[in-house]
Amino acid sequence: MASVTLEKVRKDYGAVRVLHAVDLEIADGEFVVLVGPSGCGKSTLLRMIAGLEEASGGEIRIGERLVNDVAPKDRDIAMVFQSYALYPHMDVSKNMGFSLLLKKAEKTTIDARVDGAAKRLGLDTLLQRLPRQLSGGQRQRVAMGRAIVRDPKVFLFDEPLSNLDAKLRVHMRAEIKALHQQLKTTSVYVTHDQIEAMTMADRIVVMHDGLIQQVGAPLDLYDRPANMFVAGFIGSPGMNFLPATVRKGGASEAVLADGQALLLPEGLPLKGGDAITVGLRPEHIRLADDGALKGEVVVVEPLGLSTQFYVKLASQQLCVFAMGRAGVKPGDVVRLAADPASLHLFDPKSGDRIG
Amino acid sequence: MTYAVSEIRSVGKPHRKRLSHVAIEPWLYLSPAIILLVVVLLVPLVIGISYSFRKFSAFKSEYVGLGQYQAMLSDQVLGQALVNTLWWTVASLFFQFFLGLGLALLLDKPFRGRKLVQALVFLPWAVPSFLSGLTWAWLFNPIIGPLPHWLFALGLKAEPTNVLSDPSTAMWGPIVANVWFGIPFFAITLLAALKSIPSELHEAAAIDGASPWQRFTKVTLPFLAPTIAITVMLRTIWIATFADLIFVMTEGGPAGSTNTVPVYIYVSAFKSLDKGYASAVAVLLLVLLIAYAIALIGIRRTLVRHV
Ligand SMILES: Nc1ncnc2c1ncn2[C@@H]1O[C@H](COP(=O)(O)OP(=O)(O)O)[C@@H](O)[C@H]1O
Ligand SMILES: [Mg+2]
Repeated sequence: MASVTLEKVRKDYGAVRVLHAVDLEIADGEFVVLVGPSGCGKSTLLRMIAGLEEASGGEIRIGERLVNDVAPKDRDIAMVFQSYALYPHMDVSKNMGFSLLLKKAEKTTIDARVDGAAKRLGLDTLLQRLPRQLSGGQRQRVAMGRAIVRDPKVFLFDEPLSNLDAKLRVHMRAEIKALHQQLKTTSVYVTHDQIEAMTMADRIVVMHDGLIQQVGAPLDLYDRPANMFVAGFIGSPGMNFLPATVRKGGASEAVLADGQALLLPEGLPLKGGDAITVGLRPEHIRLADDGALKGEVVVVEPLGLSTQFYVKLASQQLCVFAMGRAGVKPGDVVRLAADPASLHLFDPKSGDRIG
Repeated sequence: MTYAVSEIRSVGKPHRKRLSHVAIEPWLYLSPAIILLVVVLLVPLVIGISYSFRKFSAFKSEYVGLGQYQAMLSDQVLGQALVNTLWWTVASLFFQFFLGLGLALLLDKPFRGRKLVQALVFLPWAVPSFLSGLTWAWLFNPIIGPLPHWLFALGLKAEPTNVLSDPSTAMWGPIVANVWFGIPFFAITLLAALKSIPSELHEAAAIDGASPWQRFTKVTLPFLAPTIAITVMLRTIWIATFADLIFVMTEGGPAGSTNTVPVYIYVSAFKSLDKGYASAVAVLLLVLLIAYAIALIGIRRTLVRHV
C-alpha cells in the first residue's frame, strides 16, 4: 500500500489546458473519490496516475517514488475501467490471472490467487465462462477481481458502476466499500455521481473545469461548501440560490428581489447594500405560520418517505424538502421559515463562500 | 406396433394438410428473391456443369459422360497448372497478407501525413487489373522498364534480362504485380478490424504488464483472427481464380511455367475451342475451392466471437 501525491500536475492537449496545477495528497489506505461534471478532467487525472497519459507538468508520486517516467505496469497499480475492458477471448480465470501469468508466476500461485479473489467476489462458479456469457454485474465483478488478484499498492476506478442499472449500482457501491474496508488498499475512484461520492468516500475531491474546487470529508463539503459550484453540485435535491441585497438595521437581513427579507446570521463581514447570493438547502426550509417568506406552491412531488415541493417566490422556484406528507397542494399560499445559522452566503461575483 | 403407426398416420394427415397451407405462404413472399437467385446463380452453374459431360466440336456436341474427367487424369499440362496455381496462390497470398497487415498496423498509429499515405495505399485498388498487368510487364521489360537494370545493379541477377521470359522466374512477375494489386484489400479490411479494438483493452493489457509484442499476440491477434480467416478465404478464392494479370503479362508462358488453372481454362475454351474440357477443369477447381472454404469456415467457427 502507498500514498499518492500530486504536485502542480498539469495536462495540456495541444493549446488546450484540461488540468491546471492540481495539488492533492492521498493518504495510505484512503478511499478518495474524484467527482465533477462530465469533461472536468477526472479521467485524465486518474489516467495520469495510472501512467496511461503523460503529465504535461508537475510531479506524481506513488509512495515515495516519483513515477512520471515509470511505465504503467511498473507503477504497481490496478485499474477498473468503465467498459471493464475484459479480454473477450479469455475466460474469467484467465482474465483475472493474466497479469500474474505475464509476471511468470507459478501456476499454483496464480490459481490460488484467482480462486481467492473469485471466492471473495462470488465468482467461483463462473471461472470457465467467457466475458460475453456474463451479465453486466458479473463482468464488473470480474474487472474488480482482475484488479484484486494483482494485490496492487493503489486501486484506480474510472466510473466502474456507470454501465449498471440503478439497483445493481447501489448494491455494488456497498460491495466496493466493504471490499475496501477488508483490503484497506489506497483507492482513487472517479465518478460524476455525487451520491456515489458521498456514500463511498473517505474524502471527496470536487473538480470543475480542470481545477480542484474543494477537498474534504463528505459531510464537511455538504455543511461548508467552499463556493457555489460545490454547494450546487453536492446534495440532492440541490441547494436553492437566491440573489439578495444586504440591509443593515438592528440585525442584518437579506432582501430578495421581490422585497421579502430573510434574517442573516451575525458576525459576517457584510455592509449594507452588498449584493450576495443566499444558499438554502431544501431540507433547511420549513413550513411555519410566522415564516418570513411567502409564496405559492407550484408543484408537489410526494415520495412516500418524504415530500418535495416547489414554491414560487421572488420570481424563482424554491425547492422545499419535508419528511413525511407536507399537507400542501398546488395553488396553496404558504409561509416558509429558515434558521439563519443554516444559510450559506456567497459572493455572487466570485461564487466564493462568505464567512 | 403396426397398429400404433397407422393410427399416428391417420391422425397426422389432416393436420399436415392444414400445415402445408401455412408452410407455403412464406415461400410465396420469398419467391421473387428465390427466382432471381436461381436464374442468376444456379442456372449458369448448372449449365456450366452440364457442359463438362459433353464433347464440343465445330457445330455439334455429344454426351460423353465422365469422358472429360477421365481425360483430365492423364493430362500433364493440367497437373503442372495445378502446381502453378498452388504456388501462385500461396506466394501472392503470403506477401499480400503480411505486407497488408504491416501497413494496417502502421496506419493504425497516428503520424503526420497519415491521411495522404492512407490514400496512396489504397490507390492500386482503383487501377484496372488489365492496366496494372500491362504496366508491370513493361516495368519488367529491359528495353523500356527499369526493374531488370535495378535487379542487375543489386546483384540479384547476372544479366539485365526479362524475368518474364525465363521459365524458372517467370511466375514471380505476375506474383509481384498481384501483391502490389492485392495489398490494399488486406490493409483496408485489417485496418477496419484494428480500429474496432477498444483502446481500453490495450491499456488494461499495458497495466497488466504486457509488452508491445505480448499486446499484439494476446489482444490484437485474437481480435483480428475472425477477420483474418474470412479475408484469407475470400482472397484465396479470388487469387486462385484470377487470370487477368497472368494472361496479360505472360499468357501462361514461357513453356507453360505460368500456366495456372484459370489460364488453362481460358485457353481451352477460347483458343482450343474445347468448351467441354474447359468446363470439366472449371468444375475441378470449383470442387477444390469449396473444399478449402469449408475447411476454413470450420476453423473460423472455433475462433472468438466478441462481446
Ligand atoms: N485525447 C484527447 N485529446 C484532446 N482533448 C482531450 C483528450 N482526452 C480528453 N480531452 C479533453 O479533456 C477534458 C477532460 O476529459 P476527461 O478527463 O475525460 O473528463 P471527465 O472524465 O471528467 O469526463 C475534456 O474536455 C476532453 O474533451
Ligand atoms: Mg471520464
